[in-house]
Amino acid sequence: PAGGVSLRLCSTRATLEGINHPLIDRIIRVDHAGEYGANRIYAGQMAVLGRSSVGPIIQQMWNQEKDHLKKFNELMVAYRVRPTVLLPFWNVAGFVLGAGSALLGKKGAMACTVAVEESISDHYNSQIRTLMEEDPEKYKELLQVFK
Amino acid sequence: MAAAAAGSLRRAGWRLWRGRAVVRCQLSPPQRPLQASAVLRGVSDEQKEPLASSSQQQFSSHPTNHQPEQEPQGPRPSYTGQGGQESEDYESEEQLQHRILTAALEFVPEHGWTAEAIAEGAKTLGLSVAAAGMFHSDGSELILHFVSQCNTKLSELLEQEQKLVQLGEAEKKPTDQFLRDAVEARLRMLIPYIEKWPQALSILLLPHNIPSSLNLLTSMIDDVWHYAGDQSTDFNWYTRRAVLTGIYNTTELVMMQDSSPDFEETWRFLENRVADAMNMGNTANQVQSTGEALVQGLMGAAVTIRNLAGLNQRR
Repeated sequence: PAGGVSLRLCSTRATLEGINHPLIDRIIRVDHAGEYGANRIYAGQMAVLGRSSVGPIIQQMWNQEKDHLKKFNELMVAYRVRPTVLLPFWNVAGFVLGAGSALLGKKGAMACTVAVEESISDHYNSQIRTLMEEDPEKYKELLQVFK
Repeated sequence: MAAAAAGSLRRAGWRLWRGRAVVRCQLSPPQRPLQASAVLRGVSDEQKEPLASSSQQQFSSHPTNHQPEQEPQGPRPSYTGQGGQESEDYESEEQLQHRILTAALEFVPEHGWTAEAIAEGAKTLGLSVAAAGMFHSDGSELILHFVSQCNTKLSELLEQEQKLVQLGEAEKKPTDQFLRDAVEARLRMLIPYIEKWPQALSILLLPHNIPSSLNLLTSMIDDVWHYAGDQSTDFNWYTRRAVLTGIYNTTELVMMQDSSPDFEETWRFLENRVADAMNMGNTANQVQSTGEALVQGLMGAAVTIRNLAGLNQRR
């Protein structure tokens, strides 16, 4: 009779000791997508409000986001995480959201920014909590980045 | 008299052991397969011996009471818990399966990717041919095991090469050369089994195997790109892997039909495909810059027309 026992076929990806790969994969992928989207939102806002009085403020915030994105790109390569398939979608959606909110005026643009930042920080906090629950030591480096 | 007493003690011990074994079976199901493999091993041996020896690995205190009466010729119990007995390896079921499949690979050129090959492999390890019953009857696990082994070998090879480059003992290869060499190295591992490989490919495409075989393929391609130095974090990640998967699969199919000496035709095909892929990247860039230049031109023309028509006048 066929035992039907399945062999565990390991992926050949080198496993860094003890790290929960699926969890880290998801976390980094989501965060990277988020930062990418945020970049595109600011790009959209700049396209509309770039020459207004809030232009420099938006530009400054955009630069910060660019930094965050760069950091996540490095993490992605280090942990060999694949980027999300929906990147082209976030590209367009982010730009449209930024441009749309900017067309509502400066208040609209700021409101959009505040909302996005709030949800991002909630999201990061819950990720920090998940990582701390798992094992603070192993994920020290990641936790530093998130904070 | 003494013999009769010993005989009755033996029978009592046997009955007691059987009762204990039933309870044990219910308490620790994972032990069952190992017990089963012990049974398979001992099919040709005396009936009581394998059952008793498997009981010893489960509880070390018990045999001390019954060991002398029950099995004078049985192996000594081990108190280390890890089973220092020679007649039985205390290994996980998975390790045992791996060993059987590795041994079975030797018989694939003769028997194909079938349960017969697995049975032959089990025989060389001293197990009964019924051990092949642990696996599916279509040889799927054997093929997946082989593919997984090849992928691991490829990873190690690429890792070695990377170390040499880091130590400065070797030159860093250009991307197309690297991809060519990696795919060639991986496909060369199929050469000993090339006769039966078409059969293996068709089995890998069976619905219940597709998740595993796809997983193995994607992780292998990801490995190759990683060692080739790919650091893309945008949609390029997907296009590169898709392109390389296409190259690998088509080259594999060409290899099945190739009858040239040392598969020269296949490697030439591979070289052309990789060159195509590299060109594709350049072509994409060219198309994009042409597109941009075109748009600029059109915008300029539109502004000129507006000026000419006087629509740009500010009153």
